[in-house]
Amino acid sequence: MLVLQILINGLLLGGMYILLAQGLNLVFGVMGVVNLAHGAIITVAGLFTFWFATHTQLNPLVLLPVVFVAMLAIGALLQRSLLEPLAGVGRKSELLSLMITFGLSYVLVEIGLDVFGSQYVSLPNLQTTWSLGGLTINEALVAAGVLGAAISGALQIWLQHTDSGKCLLATSQNRIGAVACGIDVSRMRCIAFAIGSSLAAAAGVLIIMVIPLAAQTADSLTILAFVVVALGGLGDYRGAVLAAFVLGIAQSAVGYYGGGDAESVVPYLLFILFMILRPQGLGRAAQAQ
Amino acid sequence: MPAPQPSATPEALVVDGVVAGIGGLTLLHGVSLEVEAQAVTLLLGANGAGKTTLMRTLAGLIAPRSGRIMLFGQSIGGRPPHLVARAGIGHVPSGRELFPRMTVADHLALGGRLCAPERRAALRERVLELFPAIAARLRQQAGILSGGEQQMVSIARALMTDPRLLLLDEPSAGLAPKVVQSVFQTLPKLQSQGVSVLLAEQSLTFGFAVAKRAYVIRDGRIVLTGTSAELSANASIVKAYLGA
Amino acid sequence: MSFERDTLGRQPRNRLTPAAAAFPSRGLQAYRAVAGLTILAVLAAAPLLSSGYILQLATDILTFVALAYSWNLISGFTGYVSFGQVTFFGMGAYATAVMVLHTPIPWYLAIPIAVLLAAMAALLLGAVMLRLRGIMFALGMLGLARILAVVAANWSFAGGAVGLTLPAQLTPNAVYAGAWAAALIAFGLNAFYMRSGLGLSAMGVRDDEGAAQALGVATGRVKILTFVLSALAPAAVGGLVAWNRSFIDPTSAFDPNMDLQLVVFTLFGGIGTLWGPLLGTLVLMLVGEQLWAYVPELQLALYGGLVIVVVLAFPGGMVGLANRFGWLLRRPIFAPRSFPAAIVPPPAPPSRPPDDTILEVRDLSVHFRGIVALDALSFDVRRGESVSILGANGAGKTTLFNAVTGFVVPSEGSILYQDRPVGGLAPFQRARQGIARTFQIPRLMESMTVWENVLLAAQHGRLSRRALEQTAWALHITGLAPMWLESIARLTPGQQRRLELARALALAPTLVLLDEVMAGMTRDEQEEIRGVLRRLPEFGVAAVAGIEHVISAIADISDRMIVLDHGKKIAEGAPAAVLRDPVVIQSYLGEVR
Repeated sequence: MLVLQILINGLLLGGMYILLAQGLNLVFGVMGVVNLAHGAIITVAGLFTFWFATHTQLNPLVLLPVVFVAMLAIGALLQRSLLEPLAGVGRKSELLSLMITFGLSYVLVEIGLDVFGSQYVSLPNLQTTWSLGGLTINEALVAAGVLGAAISGALQIWLQHTDSGKCLLATSQNRIGAVACGIDVSRMRCIAFAIGSSLAAAAGVLIIMVIPLAAQTADSLTILAFVVVALGGLGDYRGAVLAAFVLGIAQSAVGYYGGGDAESVVPYLLFILFMILRPQGLGRAAQAQ
Repeated sequence: MPAPQPSATPEALVVDGVVAGIGGLTLLHGVSLEVEAQAVTLLLGANGAGKTTLMRTLAGLIAPRSGRIMLFGQSIGGRPPHLVARAGIGHVPSGRELFPRMTVADHLALGGRLCAPERRAALRERVLELFPAIAARLRQQAGILSGGEQQMVSIARALMTDPRLLLLDEPSAGLAPKVVQSVFQTLPKLQSQGVSVLLAEQSLTFGFAVAKRAYVIRDGRIVLTGTSAELSANASIVKAYLGA
Repeated sequence: MSFERDTLGRQPRNRLTPAAAAFPSRGLQAYRAVAGLTILAVLAAAPLLSSGYILQLATDILTFVALAYSWNLISGFTGYVSFGQVTFFGMGAYATAVMVLHTPIPWYLAIPIAVLLAAMAALLLGAVMLRLRGIMFALGMLGLARILAVVAANWSFAGGAVGLTLPAQLTPNAVYAGAWAAALIAFGLNAFYMRSGLGLSAMGVRDDEGAAQALGVATGRVKILTFVLSALAPAAVGGLVAWNRSFIDPTSAFDPNMDLQLVVFTLFGGIGTLWGPLLGTLVLMLVGEQLWAYVPELQLALYGGLVIVVVLAFPGGMVGLANRFGWLLRRPIFAPRSFPAAIVPPPAPPSRPPDDTILEVRDLSVHFRGIVALDALSFDVRRGESVSILGANGAGKTTLFNAVTGFVVPSEGSILYQDRPVGGLAPFQRARQGIARTFQIPRLMESMTVWENVLLAAQHGRLSRRALEQTAWALHITGLAPMWLESIARLTPGQQRRLELARALALAPTLVLLDEVMAGMTRDEQEEIRGVLRRLPEFGVAAVAGIEHVISAIADISDRMIVLDHGKKIAEGAPAAVLRDPVVIQSYLGEVR
């Protein structure tokens, strides 16, 4: 029974983590850049959701599509102005793009701090828990986990079954082949970043219901997302799904036995372990390389 | 593929004095050639001679430093590669450059984006008729196909863009002779459907059979040109290749 | 031939590092010495002003100078950007505090011990993380600071989330003096890197790590050593700041905002330069002092925005801008005032039997992901021979060179160099034993002058007078002496190729591997290169193996030719015979003639 409880919590947590990570994977796959501002986008979106929920009486989930669309526009603008000028080949442009997203993350954190303050906040509603035959299930966690997995699944469907999605996938797998099909690689980068940021923002809307957020700890979310992505193998979607669940279950188990703080160390420890033992990640795509 | 029509200009492609290179090196030192419309033109040369550099320059992957590239009278030199594809050049790169984790059907669909919607279905049928081996493998991921199948997918993808000119860069590389033969057998059919082809090859065996005109490139320069008949009888072609 | 993946055919530019180096004139050197001493005197006198505010500000500035220089050391010199240098700051702070509070160790010993502990931690961390790609390292460091903050917050021994309070044992003046010392040490390390072979090697890692390995640079050791050195000053100021504030807690010890500050200060000043971190810190902290009084809520945003602006608009920072006017240019490393008039050729190698085998390849097979690149290949190269290797693309030629130089591990078979197996030796070790190679597309170090590019190879990890002589000699025989202080960007393709040859010769090699050295060369340039190649035996090179497509350029200077096809050897012999061999012709043309 205990095992089942840990498993369920872990799976739901994993569902949320998938959403957290897929945006980062998308950006990395198409642009080769790790977006260090990822956590800041999540956090600002989450703080905004908190503000919205406490100032209106509407269900915060209403914000999900709104924030998603808004972030598409903002993300596209950011990519065009800040990252496209650097788009190129080689290690140097990778690191420079990293620096730009590093700077961007602090700009966003500042916005979060100035507008929303530095307190940890989390949403009071959806904190009800259900009891199902001895299992305690947290409603917020269910919402976040299920919606997270659903959005992530929708992303996969879009990537693999629509024309625009396939263009994006193709660009991340082979640029020469992509341009031979008339795909504008520059536009793909913009789209990838826009969608990656939107996914992050959507994750923020969901996460605020489950864990407290504060502007100044935004980068710990970046690290969390990066850990999931790195564990799964950079750019590998299926690997990331597996990694998200592994992480969720590991955290759930450690959290039960060790408490909240031990739980928060789990991602970092897993990351270090993997860097030592298996730096290429869990995914099959990583193995093929 | 466009319906055969009397051509307004006899040349599908005119390359005039193209100088190009990568990484600071100049690999093409003023290349000039012409590709006749609705015919197969052969570009011969040993490796390192500049065949792939020229093909990539024509496809827009390398920006020419000087010279002109005219496609059916329209200047396309300097355009980025996705616009070159849209102008009507189908590029089958050496090394195939497929999308390893996407299916064969996906490859056809992606190429087909550049084809006018009303012609797409018919085009797809014709392409699959040309390559029945891949028609049986539409749902498989390109990464696990055999070399010959991958080559066919690469050509099929380029054909789905409904090109006026097809750039075939060493389609026989790494393939068994029988497979190469079946690939080359499709070329006359393409011709009859109105597609012009520039075929870069190292091997003479299959090239001469399908091409009308041939150019030999060495060290980034065209050193020999003539009809297939002329060149295949010419003993000096060995010297042209090996340069010794 | 390999191709760059830039779909627009653009050449990637090195945007982060300064391009030129030059000698300052004597007048400028004197001016600088005076200016420098004046500034030092002014800064040292600050405590005499006795205003607590100015003393505190000066201490803070010096703290950040020390941190910025340390960040510059690892991120600027090796190119492995670390987003978590604050880790060592926090380690220093906590180690000092814990030692002072819980052990009888006095403060003046606690700080050095803390520095030592941080250095050991850096050694461990570096050994694990510097093996990986730059981005894994960057993010690994970022995560590390978080882990340590959480650990400290949960460890009651370290005060938990509340932190530790320290008894006031150090006067502000003492902290100031300590910060001074740390800043000087950090500056000194940077200055050392700017003038030493170690620094040159680090820059080689930054510009092109693979090429550096092929030139004999022990890149792993250089990275780890630099990382350890970059941990020293932060740990020291961490310990000092703990005293200054009289308390530490996880948030202030592992403060991510501090990371942002040292990144932006160094970037703004000029990353990878000697004066950049100092200038950047001074300017931004002094401006910041005034600015934050008015807009305290914009600090992070402005710093973050500044990082973006600098990277997009002037990645070289203030020093980079100054360089465009010819100021603050870096001094070329170990370069004499003028090119040596007397060229000292390398000492004659010990005499060896004329027929011994330099390179022997036995049944070498290399498989990648199901593709057979090399298939049971066997051949040898004897002393005094020049062997040309021909074959179509994908025939396995470059893979062969990669296997001989250690960049690819063979699946089967063995390689013997001077009768000893090379398996297990890293690329830099093979280079130091005398196997030199050039690359198809020249991989030159873009932020170094011509002289330094060659010196990197000549130094074998240690500088000596012999290395300088070797550098001068290599440049002289390849005809590059007149442009010895030029930056790489100014060289013609022919000169770049010759520079690659000069680098290879600077290694004092026994075996030289040339990878398509004639590609892209004009007839004249080919002649120049042929001139050098003909003289190689004179230079102590015992054997040469060259991959080539431009057959006309090497047919008459090759003793033997080997032709590969699909990873197998299909012909071997004298050039005239091989080029007429029907099997070879068929492999090239596809039919028998």
